[in-house]
Amino acid sequence: MKKVLALLLAIVMVSLALVSCGDEKKDGYKVAMICDSNINDGGWGAACYNAMKNAAEKKGWSYEVTDKITQDAYYDSIVAYCALGYDMIFAPGSQYSDACLQAAKEYPNVAFALLNGTVDAPSKAENGNLSSLLPNAQQIGWIAGALAGLMTTSGKLGFIGGMELETTKGKIAGFEEAAKYVASKEGKTVELLNVPYANSFSDAAKGKEFATELINQGADVFFGDASAVDSGARSAIDEYNAAAGSVKVFDIAQPADSLGQNECIICSQVTDNSAMIVASMEAVEAGKFGGEVLYGSLQNGALSAGKISDLVPADIQEKYNAYLQQMIDGTFMK
Amino acid sequence: MSWFISLLESAVRLSIPLLLISLAELYGQRAGMVNIGLEGLAAIGALTGFMVCFKLNSAFPELSNITPWIGLLCAGIAGLVVNMIYAFSTITLCADHTVYGMALNIFAPALASFIYGISFTSEDGLGQIATLSGIGIPGLKDIPYVGKLFFDQNPMVYVTIVIIIFSSIFFNKTRAGLNYKAVGEHPQAAATLGIPVVRVKYIACMICGFLAAVGGAYISTCYVGTYTDGIIAGRGFIALAAVIFGRWSSSGILLACLFFGLCDALQLKLQVTAGINIPYQFIQGIPYFATITILSIIGAKQVGPKANGQPYRRELR
Repeated sequence: MKKVLALLLAIVMVSLALVSCGDEKKDGYKVAMICDSNINDGGWGAACYNAMKNAAEKKGWSYEVTDKITQDAYYDSIVAYCALGYDMIFAPGSQYSDACLQAAKEYPNVAFALLNGTVDAPSKAENGNLSSLLPNAQQIGWIAGALAGLMTTSGKLGFIGGMELETTKGKIAGFEEAAKYVASKEGKTVELLNVPYANSFSDAAKGKEFATELINQGADVFFGDASAVDSGARSAIDEYNAAAGSVKVFDIAQPADSLGQNECIICSQVTDNSAMIVASMEAVEAGKFGGEVLYGSLQNGALSAGKISDLVPADIQEKYNAYLQQMIDGTFMK
Repeated sequence: MSWFISLLESAVRLSIPLLLISLAELYGQRAGMVNIGLEGLAAIGALTGFMVCFKLNSAFPELSNITPWIGLLCAGIAGLVVNMIYAFSTITLCADHTVYGMALNIFAPALASFIYGISFTSEDGLGQIATLSGIGIPGLKDIPYVGKLFFDQNPMVYVTIVIIIFSSIFFNKTRAGLNYKAVGEHPQAAATLGIPVVRVKYIACMICGFLAAVGGAYISTCYVGTYTDGIIAGRGFIALAAVIFGRWSSSGILLACLFFGLCDALQLKLQVTAGINIPYQFIQGIPYFATITILSIIGAKQVGPKANGQPYRRELR
């Protein structure tokens, strides 16, 4: 009798286990983000975390984050989430590529969404479970460059970089070409001053020194790709403007809409990574994730310009909006 | 000429946090306390200074002129308190200085990051404060070329110079200063002369913690007006090198920090100077090349306190 009961119990348990392995996930989908910067940094870390949070809330996924991790902990942090049964890992930066590829090899059922990853990263994942999310760096540069070209009076622009990443170089190129194009339409010539790199995303003091020197050289519109270093630059710009008695030097922020954060910010280039994360989540739910590059662009709404400051005259705002429309239409610089 | 003057101005700005942190270490090492936890102390100082200013500015915006001073003071007190961990462990428990200094470097930035993390959410944006305004001395600040360099600076620049002058007189011209140095040279002999060795060592740690944290707070409250993890960016370790380079004297430390500040300013300035076709990676390496070169020369002739880093046990007298 005991053997029969044990057999029945075993059958019930196996049945329950099999039911829980059905198509519908009983505990819902889960996404985890790893990040080397602080998610409260008011810059890159915050923008990426908010994007993941918004995407997860929209899709009804649960989410978790581990921030402020050092390079030696990238892999361990990722596999810890994989082992906990997370469905997707969101890694916001090309610096996580190697760790993601290694983990993707060991956890074929986990999806890896690599923001700012390289175009060829998905093809390197043996199990085809990694996709790159790539905001169009050239368009990011265009959005800032067009306004810079319109607003500059000295004809000199400043750009401060954190690290010499491929995405940063793409933004610089886009910024310069758009500014030169727009300025030429206005009968102006524009020069992008030497681009310095802080070799850091947190050393705000260096940003301040760079900006001070670039202002000394005549730069009157700034853009940057250096997170907290940019905040140091804005400190120098605000100090210069305060001494001058009016706002003469401007800054264009990124990647979130930061209008009002500093007096010198006249607009922001906004990157909405959540649209690409939502697309990745939908692919996971449909069982079709991996092996592709999801581009974020002006056309699909992942990139945009933020609110424009009153410091930008109405006629320039009008021209700028027209250029933005050209970028969306694909006719800019053509 | 203006290129050179702006280089010097930049060097002074970059030297001040280094100077404050190096002076902290000088006061520690002169009493035999080798505290390598300066980076951590500066980090907790930067956070405390920023947070105090941020909260006070929110509650009492009319006091924004004095909040940086309150922030600096609170930062110093926070550094003092945190450094008591090191002091108790190394003086009372006779633990290894290096181990506890490194523990501070791990613990204090993590504590600062934790406090910042629970104080701001990802949707708050970047917290910012008004920095301490510069003071220009009327008449003198308008002298061509050197006026701005010497007479139109942040008040903390003048405060730091006063601390350097005071330290030089204290360590070389006063009985108290010589007694203090004796603790770092031969604590057993100092004790036989009636110098309260343990008390001096604790005072040294209090001064060290206070000044190192003020050095960190200078960056957040007087320089950039914000806080972010990693804002100290290795300045605590450069300050350690500056103490050795400066041969444990306040005037030497002044020169060492100005030298390091000048190297850093040079690399920052060269990167944005047109017509210099040197790869930026090489330019960024200038402060490191200079540090290694100078320390390899100076290090061979070091004249540090003899009992540096050694535990003091009264029963071994």
